[in-house]
Amino acid sequence: MASRKIEVVEKKNLVSPPVAVIISVLFPGLGHVLIRKLNRGLLIMASIGTIIGLFLWRIDLLAHRETDFISQYLKALSRKGFFIGFITLAIVILWLWVARDTYLHATRKKKGGFALFAFILVMFFAIGWQISEIDLKKAVTKFPDAWPPLSKILWPWEAAFTRATEELSASTEILIGSEDQGPPPIPVEEPGKPYLRSTPNFGKLSSLDENNNVIKGTILHLTGKNFKPNTLTQIWWFDALGNEFRPRQDGKYTSVTTDDKGNFEYDLVMPYRLIPPSAEGKILNKVEARQVTEVGSLIPADPLKLTFSLIIETIFMGMMATFFGIILSIPISFLAARNIMKGSWVTMLIYFITRTVLNIIRSIEPLIWALIAVVWVGLGPFAGIVALTVHSIAALGKLYSEAIEGIDHGPIEAIQATGANWLQTIMFAVIPQMIPPFVSFSIYRWDINVRMSTVIGLVGGGGIGFLLVQYIRLLDYKAAGIAVWFIALTVSILDYVSAEIRNRFV
Amino acid sequence: MLEVKNLTKIYNDGTVALDDVSFTVEDGEFLVIIGLSGSGKSTLLRCINRLIDPTEGQIIWDGKDVTSVKGAQLRNLRRQVGMIFQHFNLVNRSSVMNNVLSGRLGYVDPWKSLLYKFSPEDRKKAMESLQMVGIEDQALKRADELSGGQQQRVGIARALMQNPKMILADEPVASLDPVLAHTILGYLEKLNLERNITVMCSLHYLDLVQRYGTRVIGLRDGKLVWEGDNNAIKKMSDAEFKNIYGEEAERVSAGSLTGGEV
Repeated sequence: MASRKIEVVEKKNLVSPPVAVIISVLFPGLGHVLIRKLNRGLLIMASIGTIIGLFLWRIDLLAHRETDFISQYLKALSRKGFFIGFITLAIVILWLWVARDTYLHATRKKKGGFALFAFILVMFFAIGWQISEIDLKKAVTKFPDAWPPLSKILWPWEAAFTRATEELSASTEILIGSEDQGPPPIPVEEPGKPYLRSTPNFGKLSSLDENNNVIKGTILHLTGKNFKPNTLTQIWWFDALGNEFRPRQDGKYTSVTTDDKGNFEYDLVMPYRLIPPSAEGKILNKVEARQVTEVGSLIPADPLKLTFSLIIETIFMGMMATFFGIILSIPISFLAARNIMKGSWVTMLIYFITRTVLNIIRSIEPLIWALIAVVWVGLGPFAGIVALTVHSIAALGKLYSEAIEGIDHGPIEAIQATGANWLQTIMFAVIPQMIPPFVSFSIYRWDINVRMSTVIGLVGGGGIGFLLVQYIRLLDYKAAGIAVWFIALTVSILDYVSAEIRNRFV
Repeated sequence: MLEVKNLTKIYNDGTVALDDVSFTVEDGEFLVIIGLSGSGKSTLLRCINRLIDPTEGQIIWDGKDVTSVKGAQLRNLRRQVGMIFQHFNLVNRSSVMNNVLSGRLGYVDPWKSLLYKFSPEDRKKAMESLQMVGIEDQALKRADELSGGQQQRVGIARALMQNPKMILADEPVASLDPVLAHTILGYLEKLNLERNITVMCSLHYLDLVQRYGTRVIGLRDGKLVWEGDNNAIKKMSDAEFKNIYGEEAERVSAGSLTGGEV
């Protein structure tokens, strides 16, 4: 080989150093271009242009009522002094720095240099900080607000278990109106059974006058017997339609504690209740004394039971979606494998179309597919499965097709050379190469699908997310916490299991 | 006897890989094919067991025209011809045993074989083949756990399972160091001498060519440019050598190694 001399040709500047500096001051970056530092110059131009553009936009947002630039700038400065001042100063420094950089490069005293761009990056961070409304102070000072729900989510287990309750109650009927309408009979006392009577057992409900002042109703003297001793007893009111509610007296729910013998006396003001205009004749309400006590050992509470059943639903949603995804993506993956499809232009066209469609489907998040699926098949786990299946087909189709493309042709040739037929060649040379990536990708996908199905419920796709979003909207943070814990537990177990399985195969 | 008559192969993209090549190989010969990369050696070997279909010409083996057979007849031809590859072409994730047993595929019941079921005789034969190449203790390992030299021995054992009358070896030692090269070629020579298996082998190092070949053909740009016996290659002149390998070629030696098993 003929040896070649490497000639280093110094390209001459188009302008002298002082001129380059002046041009740089007038138009930052142009000076660099004229001394043949094209990339550096263009990068400086683009950076400064972007910074100034963003800066002007922020000023305009801060003071959009002002008309001319000066007053806009001053208004913005008064509102966000630190930010506006800092960026203004930084732009001035940058301007001078670019001029100096032009001079150093023009006189060949310097090559490269990243400090200038590090400075530009700092400016972008400052602007980004302002644009994205980062407020660390708020994050710290407002944290106590977040603590009550957060602590409930972090430790929700009081809500996970409960005890069976035993209810002890007795009631008596109250006539709304005067005695001459015929008050209801007084209940008969039976030994050993809770008993409640009211004196009188008729009267007027509380009502409002024209000025919305409360006119107190009749005071009922309640006598309770044969209840559990020393236990809080709630007083409930049933209106004529059977709706029950707890009346309040002085802002507190009415309740009374029984004495050592299980008896109590209580004065109840008849509560405020509108009587339906259609009501005719005798209107009977009911007052009830009720003791609710916990008995027996701890049993799982509803949130725990619901969470558990929905976690199972979630895991199976992920599994079914993966199953359908695998079944449907295997044939598609062959259409998307270049080495299979390179035969003719028709097959290549199919290859390109398949690839493009898969890429488009894959780039749409499962959550968005779920929104579409909910419209398609209605709320519930099936919508979630449809959404995850669609996304799985696209993702697995791509992964499988790449596995097919990556197949080693050598063993195929070797097995053919032994006199094996087509099926034997597939079984001995192709399948052994395909199984590990297929299994690995499928398990990985199952992992992803279960993780996705925990959030797909947020948009109505069934599974645990459905429950979680309900609890959060009801502000039931403890129940939500139970769901969150179960999601975390399931996902991490699955993560571990799928990693183990994949390790064995790859 | 193998007769190659006017063999020509033109690939779809227009590349002429073989251009009117004719020669004969007697049974029991150790024929070495030399030539630059891309000179058509691999194509020639693959035409003989029809992994590649020749464009023109004939290959006649034991009086039968190889170029025209199809289907079951073709598989019957292939199973009598063992093949060894530069990159071993083992199924990496299968066990050594399964790789060796796959050499039996042309003989066994196709349906049974699909479930990887082989008769005890075949398994015994596989162990014997592995013993012959000295790696019977590796039988249960995965093929890719073995070193390059061991993998090529698995390749030989696989070819042996075919009870081959002929072995085609496509640069069997090009991926191995010179010491292993002698070991591998030693096995091929042993099979050639003891079992009278015809060997067609492409090689690069002239030392190895001189040591193992009973006859040599040289290819250049798909044309047969040299043919001679072992004596002739030992006396090959620089001019002849350059005719095969081109003007820029120098004689490459496999080092100061002497032949024989290592």
